[in-house]
Order: sequence, then C-alpha cells, then structure tokens
Amino acid sequence: MLEKSMLAKQGSDKSLSPAGAAKREHGSIKAVFVSVYDSGLNRRAFLRQTGAAAVLLGLLGAKPSVGLAQGSADRVESDKGSADFNPHSRSVVEAVQLQLFPDDSDGPSAKQLNAFQYLSWALDDPENAADGDKAFILKGVGWLEEQSNATLGDSFIRLTPTQQDTVMRQVSQTRAGENWLSLLLYYLLESLTLDPVYGGNPDGIGWKWLEHLPGFPRPVEGKTYLDFS
Amino acid sequence: MKNTHEFDICIVGSGVGSGPVAHELAKAGYRVGVLEKGKWFKEKDFFKDEQLGRHRVFRSQFKDERHTLEEPNGDGTWSSETTAQFWGGNVVGGASNFMSGYFHRLKPQDFRLVSEFGEIEGANTVDWPIDYDELEPYYTKVEQLVGVSGKVVEHPHLEPRSTKDLPFPPTAEHPVAQKFDLACKALKLHPLPMARGILSMPFNGRLSCEYSGYCGSYGCHSGAKASSRAALLDNAVAGGNCEVITQAKVYRLNTDDIGKVSSADYFDKDGKTVRIRAKIFVVACYSIESARLLLSSIGPKHPQGIGNSKGLVGKNLHCCAGGTGHGVFKLDMLEEFEAKQLKIRGPFFNRALQDWYVIDDRSVSDKPIKGGTLDFVFDPPSPTAETSGLKWQGDNLLWGTPLKQKIKAHFTKSKDFKFEVFCDWLTNDECYVSLDSDETDKWGQPVAKVRAGFHPHDEKVAQYLVDRGVEVMKAMGADEAWGNVFTSPTSNLVAGGCRFGNDPETSVLDRNCRVHDCDNLYVTDGSFMPNGGSVTPTLTIYANAFRVADKILEEMSQL
Repeated sequence: MLEKSMLAKQGSDKSLSPAGAAKREHGSIKAVFVSVYDSGLNRRAFLRQTGAAAVLLGLLGAKPSVGLAQGSADRVESDKGSADFNPHSRSVVEAVQLQLFPDDSDGPSAKQLNAFQYLSWALDDPENAADGDKAFILKGVGWLEEQSNATLGDSFIRLTPTQQDTVMRQVSQTRAGENWLSLLLYYLLESLTLDPVYGGNPDGIGWKWLEHLPGFPRPVEGKTYLDFS
Repeated sequence: MKNTHEFDICIVGSGVGSGPVAHELAKAGYRVGVLEKGKWFKEKDFFKDEQLGRHRVFRSQFKDERHTLEEPNGDGTWSSETTAQFWGGNVVGGASNFMSGYFHRLKPQDFRLVSEFGEIEGANTVDWPIDYDELEPYYTKVEQLVGVSGKVVEHPHLEPRSTKDLPFPPTAEHPVAQKFDLACKALKLHPLPMARGILSMPFNGRLSCEYSGYCGSYGCHSGAKASSRAALLDNAVAGGNCEVITQAKVYRLNTDDIGKVSSADYFDKDGKTVRIRAKIFVVACYSIESARLLLSSIGPKHPQGIGNSKGLVGKNLHCCAGGTGHGVFKLDMLEEFEAKQLKIRGPFFNRALQDWYVIDDRSVSDKPIKGGTLDFVFDPPSPTAETSGLKWQGDNLLWGTPLKQKIKAHFTKSKDFKFEVFCDWLTNDECYVSLDSDETDKWGQPVAKVRAGFHPHDEKVAQYLVDRGVEVMKAMGADEAWGNVFTSPTSNLVAGGCRFGNDPETSVLDRNCRVHDCDNLYVTDGSFMPNGGSVTPTLTIYANAFRVADKILEEMSQL
C-alpha cells in the first residue's frame, strides 16, 4: 500500500490491516483518527487488539500504549503522587526533544516550539495523568541515562549530537524504548500543530512553516477543551 | 420520586429524529418535553479547536458509557471489544452538530428494493410500507425549513421532485470542482452539485456559512449547519411550548396494564431519578440506543421489552457500506496558479456522482443491481492527527531532519482530495443490537451489544464503486490515486433496528412509526429504515420525522 494511503487518520500502529478497519464518521465516511480515546479502547484492550494483529486503521497517530507493553507490573497506574521533573531529567528530555526536532534551519526546533513547556503542561491533563505518562517518561530518562553511561561512559546531556542519536537508536531497538520515544514525539508534534493557547506552537510558528491555515474562531484562554466539562 | 413533570409529548433524544417532532408539535401549541443526555452547547462554544475532538469534549466518555462491538474475524469466529465509537454527539442536537450535511434524497427504488432488484440470499431486504411519493412533500419541507443549499441538475438517476430546485443557492465552491467537472464530462459522467444541509445565506436567525474550512466533525459557529438544534430546537424553545431538559439520561419507559407508556424515568446530572409523564412518547436517541431503551423497558404487557413480543427489536440494524478513496496532486508538478488554487481553504468540493446508483454491468452481475453514490469531499482539517501519523517510516520511528522534511512535504508539496462511497449495508441475521448481560454503564444499566455482520454482496458493490472513483481521480490528473473498501461498521450513520412495516409479525413499527403493540409510543430516528439508501440517511430521517409529526398531530387532535 502506498505510503500516502496510511496518512494521518488511517494508519495503524506499525502493521496495517487494510480491509475492514477504518472507522467512519460524521456525514463523511471519514476514516477517523481512532486514537485510543476516540475508539474508546482502554489501553489493555488496545494492546490485546494490536497484539492480535486485528489492528484498527487509525492508530498510527494515536498515543502509544507505552509501558504496558512491558507488562503491567512495572507500570504505574496513574501519576498521582509520582515524581516530577528535576533539573537533570528536564535537561535530558529537552536534549532528546532537540534530537527529535532539531534546529536545522528549516522549520522550528523543539526549543522554538516550547516543546518542553508544552509537555509538562500536557502531562498534567487529567486523561494523560490517568495514563501515567509522566512516570513513564521519567522512567525512560533512567533507561536512556543507563544506556548512555553503559555505551559511551557519560550522561546523555554531555554527549555530542551524533552520540546522542546513536544512543537513541539503541534505545529504540526495544519495544519499551521505542514507545518512550514515540510518546515524546506524540507530545512534541502536538506542540507543533495545536493552537498556541495550549502553550506550544508560539505565534503559530509551526502552522506558518507548514503553510497551514487555522480555522476561526480559534480557542481562547478560558475556553480550551478543559473548560467544557 | 419527588420531581414530576408533565407534558403532552415527551421525546427521548434531541437529534435529527427528534427536532422535527418537537418543532411541529410545539408550533401547534402542545407542551413538548425533550430529554437529552448531554449538555446544551451553542454556536459561541464551537471553537475550531482540534483538542475538542481529540478529547471527546462533546461525546460520551468511554469510562462512563460504552458499547460492546462484535465483528467477524473472517474465520467463523467473532471479536468482542468495548468501544465508544458509536457516540456521535452527547449534546443537544446530537450528532447532527458534527455532520458534514450531505443531504441527498433517497430514490424511489430505495423504497422497494425487493420489487426492483429481487431478493439476495442471506439478506433480509424488504420493500417499505410507504413509497417515495409519500415522503416527497417532507423532503421538500426539510429543504425549505431546515435549509438545504445546492443546485438540482438533470441526470439519469434524478429522483422526482415537486420543486424545481433547492431553496438555497450552492455554498461557495472550491476551484477543484471545475477540474472535477471537466474530468467527469470527458468520462461521459454526470457531475452533480451536492445538496448540503448548510446555509449559503442567512435564514431564520441563523447566519450563512463562514467558510473557515473547519466543517464536518467541528461544531458550526455560524449556525449555518442544519443541526437539529440550530435549525429546529432553538426555534421550538423560543416559541415557549418546548422545554429541553439536559443531562437527563432516560433509562426506562414505564408501561401500564394495557401496555401503553405512562412515564419515562431518567437519571439527572446528580444521578437522581426523575419521572416524566406525557400522553405520547417518542424515542429518538440513535438506532442502537433506541433499541436498547425499548429492550430495557420491561412491563406487564411487554415482558421482553416494548415492541419486542416477536423478538424483533434491535434486529436488522444497518450501517453505511462503502469505502473511501484518495487522489493526491503533487503541487510542484502544477503551474503556480493552479497549485495556489488547489491549496485554497474554505469553500467546499461539493460534488457527487450517482451514475452508478444502479449498476448494469455484466462483469459484476447478470442483472442490474443496486449501486450507490460517490461523494467528493474534504476532510475537516486535523493537522495534529495528520502529523502524528507521519512519525512512522515503515516499522521504524522517524525523527530529526528526515521527520521534519516528511511533515513539511506532507503539508506543502501535495494536496489530497477524497471521495467516499455509499452503498447499502444489507440487513442480515448477524447484524443486530441486544443487551449485554456483563457490561454496564456508569448508571449501572446494561449497555447495548452491537453485532456487526456484513453481507459479502456489499463488498462487491463497494469495490466496483471505489474503482470508479479512482478512475475519476486519475482522469482529474491525480499523481497517485487509490481506494479501500470497508466492511467494519460505520460509527455514525447507523440505522434500522426497529424496522417499520404493515405486518406486526415482521416489523416493530407500523407505517407511521408507532410501535405495533404500544399505542402511544413512536420511534422517529433512523431505526425505522429497512435500508439506508446509498447515501447518508440524515435527510431522510429528518423528512420521515416530519411525516410522523403530522401523524402524531392527527392523533393528538383526537385525544
């Protein structure tokens, strides 16, 4: 199948089952972006389903079902009372984000997108918190540092960009490591294209780069998705 | 039960099946109570914010309410998952707030598929108890009252009309429509301007479309979209005879010793039980949920649930069969002005093809078979969802400059146009709603279980139509074109489940959509439909609800 056909709302998470999977919605037979939320699958069900290869088209863009892939034993159920970023873990995540979306003179970098600020805000969203994303990201910082120390003898933040990329590729070889990077990318790309009211994409810098026209009226402070419930 | 409310007519649900009844009965002076599970959001609440959809702000949350969905695995076994995909809009006006509004009429042969095309083995197709002519005046009424824009043109499958044209001129068209028309004419096809439930000029207190390009799954900020709320309920409430009670989750209809509905019980926002009394009750809360409510309403005369003495409630459910296809135009291959034109956002594509509404092609079938409609459309923009999907390159995660370049190319170097294929989802014994004995919602009520078996005939028809769409995209000059057939149920556009008919042995509702063995209960959403037509059924549900409203008015005048 063409790469294009897996775009956006109808890709699957890694493997693709072309027939019979896309969901339709509203007036249009639109292959809905069946995110974990949209499809209403809980994470366990989602994993069962992906594991069974009965994959819903649409999960390509969905938030990865992170730590559960490792079994629920080492997975925190929610972020209640869990640790927060400290200066070190923040530096590591910022360095990873800059590798994921570098300052390469074509388009905004993670830093210009306010990707870290967006991430720390988004992780406190009730649903994301219930998913335990912050704890998982912090746990991943530990794995990355372990890997970095084991192979290059130093903390990730003191490596050269090339060395950092090497360590990230090593980490991405495991399912959990790949999920960790995928989750960071999920939030990073939100900071590229969501409305600036959410803290990323300052002044629509991401939209301008992508020549994307936002709709109107745009959301305003006090009328974000959190203000409707 | 402390609270008691009393109405002449009580309607469960506030979507397309509800609005016409509320509007007409309230206008005639009757006291109407509409019970809606969700909240009341208005134009000012509908920001074009992708997060609203991503976080299901206007839909039921999975943790609160679910459905069980069973689908065939293809090897004789069935999958079973809980899902929230069938919640289309947990707000006043229901899913019609988030529709695209493709307002095609059904055609006369859709009312008599068996007579026209014969029976298909394994399908439960039947002719309708009414014909097209009986519904035609109500199509016209919807077009005028709810507001349908577009232009009627002659074509081989044009349905008979009592009015020459639609009451509102077409909404603004995207330049790609001209490209489409030229390609279709070269292929000797009949490109049709699409009838839309979207105002092209202000009407009845609603504004015209603002062309932000964020239509479809985004709520309408101008009121141009013909949602049941904007087009009907706002008016009905303003008239003083209609009350919409929000956050009222109806869980049971109570019936008396002679089998009539005496009251409806709902949970209010605090989970407290409230009882509503009325002379006539109407159920219109989306086919799956309407069947669930009837099945859940056990009474002395209705031990299997209301209308279910023959075990037919929930049966013969149908979705929209079909598929989608795409044509991608590489912008750097085009003249600059043309590339610029294709990138315009705001106006609509607004084209459809119905040349294959009946397929007469020996390569598919020895005799003519029912075909369908191709709608050429834009998806509502969802840049975050699109972008997020681009991080995978095959099996590997992509990052760094390669990812940035891929995202940039996706947004700036090409333009993706889409078509959607609609054909009949043949009713069959393996597609129905029942109550789940294991799963309950947050109110402790059994959820609906949807078994979604499809008939292989649908795949054949859909594939034929998808192939035609791909040919059109290629003729338009698309650099890449492809399409897929779906056999999974659509999450929206589900209908049937309480089929109407003249024979109580084989149908749940009579020809006026009154439950056969319950004299004061009507079902006015899409549940009545024996088949959905090869179009989105929304316009027809509106029209039928206006037809039934007239029948209820007749009955009320005799009470």
